[in-house]
Amino acid sequence: MGEKEESNEPQSLNPASNQEEGILDKLEKKAKKYLRGNKTNLKNLRDKKLKGQLEVREKIYGNTAKVAARAEEWLKPSEEGLLEPENPLERTYRIQQSSILPEVDVLSVSKAFDMKLPDLGPYTIRYLSNGRYMLLGGQKGHLAMIDVLKMDCIKEFQVKERVRDVVFLQNDQLFAVAQKKFTYVYNRHGTEIHCLKDNQHPLKLEYLEKHFLLVGTNNFSQLHYQDISTGQVVANYRTGLGPTSVMSSNPYNSIISLGHSGGKLTMWKPTSGKPLITMLCHHGPITAVAYHPSGNLVATAGMDKKVKIWDLRKFESIHSIPGHAQTLDFSQKGLLALANGSRIQVWRDKGDQDFGLYMTHSIPKGYQVGTVKFRPYEDVLGLGHSMGFSSILIPGSGEPNFDSWVANPYETSKQRSKKEVRALLDKLPPESIMLDPGSIGMVRERQRKEKLTKREIEQQMVEAVVEVKSNVEIKNKTKGRNKPSKRAKRKQEEVFNAKKPFLEKQRETKEGPPQKKRRVLLEVAEDLPKSLQRFAKKKPM
Amino acid sequence: MADSTEKNRKKQKRTKTKAVESTFLSKTSKYEKKGRTKMKGKRKGRDNDQRKRRGGGPRLPNVLRQELGLDAKRNSSSESDSEGGEDVRDFYELDEEVAQEESGKNRRFDEVENYQYELPDNFEDEEVPSDEGEDDSDKSEGEDQRDKEDGERHLRMLQDITGIPKEAFDGEKKKREEVLLSQADVRSEIVTIHDLLAPLQGMPGYSSLRKRVLQQEKQPMTLQAPLPKSERDKVQRKVSDKFARKEITKWEGVVKRNREAPTLFFEQDQNLGYSTVGAIASGFEPRTEFEKQMAQLRQDPELVEAYKNDGAKMLELNKVSVKDVIDRQNRLAKMRSLLFRHEMKAKRIKKIKSKTYHKIKKKERQKAASAELEMNPEAAKQQAIKQEQKRAEERLTLKHKNSSKWAKRILKRGLDVQDDATRAAIAEQLQKHEELKRKMNSMNNNESSTDEESSDDDDEEEDESKRALKALNKAKEKTAKVLEEGDEAPKKGLFALPFMERGLKKRQEEAYEEARQALEDYDATLNQLQDEGEEGEEETQQNSSAVKMTGKRTFGPAKKPVAQEYNKRQRLDDFGKDSDSEEEDGEFDEPVPQIIEDKNDKTEGVQLGTALLDEEQVMAQHAIFRNLDDMEKAVGPKTSYEVAIFAGDSFRKVRSDSGHSNKATTSSVIHTSKPSHETKETDQSYETDSDTEMVEGFLTTNLITDQKPDYELPSQAELVRRVFAGDDVAAEFERDKLETLNEENPEPEKPALVPGWGQWTHVQKKKGLPDWMVREHEEKKRKRGEALKKRKDAKFDHVIISETINRKAEKLMATSLPFPFTSKEAYEGNMRMPIGPDFNPASALSALNRPEIIKKPGLIIQPIEYEEVDPDETHDQPKRIIQGAKPKQSSKEKSKKGKLSNKLVPKTLGKKVKST
Repeated sequence: MGEKEESNEPQSLNPASNQEEGILDKLEKKAKKYLRGNKTNLKNLRDKKLKGQLEVREKIYGNTAKVAARAEEWLKPSEEGLLEPENPLERTYRIQQSSILPEVDVLSVSKAFDMKLPDLGPYTIRYLSNGRYMLLGGQKGHLAMIDVLKMDCIKEFQVKERVRDVVFLQNDQLFAVAQKKFTYVYNRHGTEIHCLKDNQHPLKLEYLEKHFLLVGTNNFSQLHYQDISTGQVVANYRTGLGPTSVMSSNPYNSIISLGHSGGKLTMWKPTSGKPLITMLCHHGPITAVAYHPSGNLVATAGMDKKVKIWDLRKFESIHSIPGHAQTLDFSQKGLLALANGSRIQVWRDKGDQDFGLYMTHSIPKGYQVGTVKFRPYEDVLGLGHSMGFSSILIPGSGEPNFDSWVANPYETSKQRSKKEVRALLDKLPPESIMLDPGSIGMVRERQRKEKLTKREIEQQMVEAVVEVKSNVEIKNKTKGRNKPSKRAKRKQEEVFNAKKPFLEKQRETKEGPPQKKRRVLLEVAEDLPKSLQRFAKKKPM
Repeated sequence: MADSTEKNRKKQKRTKTKAVESTFLSKTSKYEKKGRTKMKGKRKGRDNDQRKRRGGGPRLPNVLRQELGLDAKRNSSSESDSEGGEDVRDFYELDEEVAQEESGKNRRFDEVENYQYELPDNFEDEEVPSDEGEDDSDKSEGEDQRDKEDGERHLRMLQDITGIPKEAFDGEKKKREEVLLSQADVRSEIVTIHDLLAPLQGMPGYSSLRKRVLQQEKQPMTLQAPLPKSERDKVQRKVSDKFARKEITKWEGVVKRNREAPTLFFEQDQNLGYSTVGAIASGFEPRTEFEKQMAQLRQDPELVEAYKNDGAKMLELNKVSVKDVIDRQNRLAKMRSLLFRHEMKAKRIKKIKSKTYHKIKKKERQKAASAELEMNPEAAKQQAIKQEQKRAEERLTLKHKNSSKWAKRILKRGLDVQDDATRAAIAEQLQKHEELKRKMNSMNNNESSTDEESSDDDDEEEDESKRALKALNKAKEKTAKVLEEGDEAPKKGLFALPFMERGLKKRQEEAYEEARQALEDYDATLNQLQDEGEEGEEETQQNSSAVKMTGKRTFGPAKKPVAQEYNKRQRLDDFGKDSDSEEEDGEFDEPVPQIIEDKNDKTEGVQLGTALLDEEQVMAQHAIFRNLDDMEKAVGPKTSYEVAIFAGDSFRKVRSDSGHSNKATTSSVIHTSKPSHETKETDQSYETDSDTEMVEGFLTTNLITDQKPDYELPSQAELVRRVFAGDDVAAEFERDKLETLNEENPEPEKPALVPGWGQWTHVQKKKGLPDWMVREHEEKKRKRGEALKKRKDAKFDHVIISETINRKAEKLMATSLPFPFTSKEAYEGNMRMPIGPDFNPASALSALNRPEIIKKPGLIIQPIEYEEVDPDETHDQPKRIIQGAKPKQSSKEKSKKGKLSNKLVPKTLGKKVKST
């Protein structure tokens, strides 16, 4: 379970005090991150028992955060590298791949390569989430699965059909291909496992890992959700905005975004037939969409010769890059790659959401880049273009430390299968896809016409009674009607009167509204001949 | 003089009790005399004894002794003497009395160890009774016989005279004895203020002094009525609640700790009970042969002796020099003398205090308290509640009785065995009991004393007559005034109605009549009173008869015979009383005039009463008038209110009219405004058109500039679509947004009438839509506007955020706060941290999701045990509760008890030695 954390418990540190303080400061900062929000304010709590318990709980959380912060030091040993200019006049985007390659280590050099596949292009590419495997899909039916770690072609085959998109499913064992008419699922040996006929003429595919959902758009401008663990079609919605092949999923909340020809970006979840959010992003068709791994930023490219980066919290564009882009992708560390024709640009957040050009690259003229994809856990950008595939080095793009519980590039088959089982057990229902997944388990805001629960009614009743008791004014009466017993009785009556409506409400919640009338009507209907029974309801009593 | 009055009072008392047997007076008195002489003789004998024993003082003549008040003391103490062998203190031995602090009286002094040698308590007692007993037996035998003979002879004589069996007289004899006792009591009673006042009679200022005294006495000593049962119960509950709470609150710490501990471990007790080798050794018992031999050797008396001797050698080292001992003794003696002096001083001071200052202080306090009680019913009630509470508390604790379990047990064991603290506690209880008893007795005495109240005084008469005069005058004036004023009649409102007027008149006439009569009466009584004033005091009786003549209610004549009867009886009683002491015989007729005066007073009171009654009547009439007046006054506002109603109505009418007009205007405004709005809309559309044009321009420019070669030549349709794709994008989006808004918050329907409705004439046509329709529509519109404003996307032109509720996701959220939580903030704060293994390091994981209670299967959880808990302790560590372990406290207590018993043993032994 937690072997690695235990094995990596921090040893006692006893260098100079200054160093120690620095370390402590760092630890505190990290611990703050692991506290996942501010400490709850318990001062307003009246319940002393709860207060005590929560205080204890809060202490435990604090300790946990500290332990996690300490563990982080050992679990995340390496930091991402970046191209850093030596003087202010130097620009990182002037640095070419040719000048990078001689500087880096041999292993990294091997990661930058080109594959010339001129016949069956243009190619789309996909990496597996752990960055080990890559799928190549040539438009003219060429499919290949490559182990990029070992530089080994696992399977290569021809489907002799137009291939629009390829996507890995849960792991390297299965992948889905959007072909001319249907979506097919193949295993790593190239065997066709499924032909998903529900989604005809697919244009684009996306896979939601935690929900086991394969999402596709088709030529009929439909959005199609299919559960690949059960095979059920979870949802199939008509977007009503025209067929689109611009699709991306939000890694934070698994919401699917579609870019449309009207310049709109729509966000979807499987449980609602209407888009959650519709944004007018461009004055022209949207050509590409990509999400930042944090889920807060989305980059869109439109035909209006603009690439915009939007903050989804404010719904406003925080940066606009002039130029066309056929494809966009965010790296794990937040680098944005965009490709237009044979030119590739990489933009980087220099802090405070201020994006600046980080690197440029151009492949030989005439090559048209179809897809750009950052390879997870590596500083590599893969380009699928009309003449095959190339990969270039983009320093600082990938996450340097992988979490084997999340994605392990070096996993064994056993680990893989275990992980698969675990993932199946932890599978999230499609309902859990929502704009703010943090609200799961929280108290839902009450809708207007909702019935009150029994407890709430009781609470209200208690409040009302208290109010009546405090406000009740009993007049002084004469002739034996002012006895304490009588006064008490009167008071009690008042209290009962205050209680009455709530008691009635409670009864209603318990029994439901009276159904007497309906039964009578049914009886009447039984008397009638069958042909007239359906009119019985309309007949007045 | 004082003596004589006192005797007189005594006489009265006796006559009350003994009126019936007055016929046998002479004989009984004789018998009594004899008894007294006998007693005297007895006393003499014992006096001699005492003198013998104590060395005694000078023999004083009887008269002197009486003057000193010694005789009375003797008298009172004689009975107690004969009963128990108590010491009788002589005059000269007063200073030899045991010091209060030594006797431990009232526990007023600190307990001081007595350094001086003291005899055991029963030392003297052992000898005395035997001595006295012999004496008594010697002397009293003959006397008793004589007594008996005398009594029998007397009885026989009585029987002869009356013919009643002698048993009856036997009882009477006893009674007489009782009377004697009471007499003795009376003699020792305190001199009352009346006795002191009596000689002042006839002196100037006497009457006022007397009046004041009487007034003081008149103030009735009222007992608080017992609280109602509900109140008593309440008090009871309050007290018991206090105790229960005290008992329960001590658990608070333990419970709090257990509640707040994140986890409770229940564990088996692993403690074997032995902690040290010594502990094991102490519990060792020889079992095997070898062990027994060893034990025998160890307990060999020779060996033990030898060991002891060895110890004696060591004792030699402890030798103290003679000088040291003397020094120590001197020091001790000094200390003792100092202590004694200090005690003496304290005693003196205490004595002074107790005699004067303390008494006065106490009395003052009591007076103030009682005054406050009388003045303030609230305070009285509170006092009652407080007393009730005290009583309830005492009843609950039963501290004043030795009936509690604890007290019984201690008494059973014997007080001597107990330690000082327990003995003190018991003593306290006893004292409390004594106090309460004393209180009870004192209460009874008070009651009896308040019963005796003498009658009124004649000197008050004058003042009272004056007062009556004044009152009458006042009443007369008032009635006259009323008669003058009463003619005014209300002339408006409800009372202006004819039948009301008639009724009013009738009532008024009646009242008038009554008032006139009352006036006449007043005149008559006034005349009488004035006459009285002229005639003087002696003719008051006549006056009273005159009062009778007026025909008003009088109680005078009915009272008179009663008073006379009373007189007679009193005289008889006096006879009875006087018979036993001839000296007092002459004064028997003294109280008679007093009673006559009483009667006078009473009649006068009656007279006054009538006057007061009359006044009351007048006042009642007044009340009627006042009522009428009030009504009259009340009419004013009522009518005005009516007017107000009318006015209000008219106002409302006016207002409603104005409202109509307003509405009309508003509706007209609406009508007028509508077309303008439409024009606005069109304007907007124009604007948007222009906008789109601009966009088109922008787009076109874009398209022109964007002339990069595509890798694929798009088809014609694609091209066309692309060219026109950006067409009117913003407008389209706006339309879309409006659509969705309408979908989620539908626009209210425009109010419309069925064609032809309300169009019979042109007049109706002009009116247009009914008001309520317009209003409703506006309301709906307003609501919609508000709803739209509240939307999340209200601020953004380019964003539509759907507000449809996700029914399917609702099941993933809590409908209400889960149980222990009371605030949403706290709950969500608690939920923010993931507690799973994916998110937390393993070392911290166990603390995060440890269960609340951890126990091994099969372990029985014992009931909670009391423990002292530090309230400032933090409870964030898991608490381990070890089952089967004995709490530490009990063991401590055990050891304490053992020590105590060890201490107590030699003490008791010492006592035993003493007693033997």
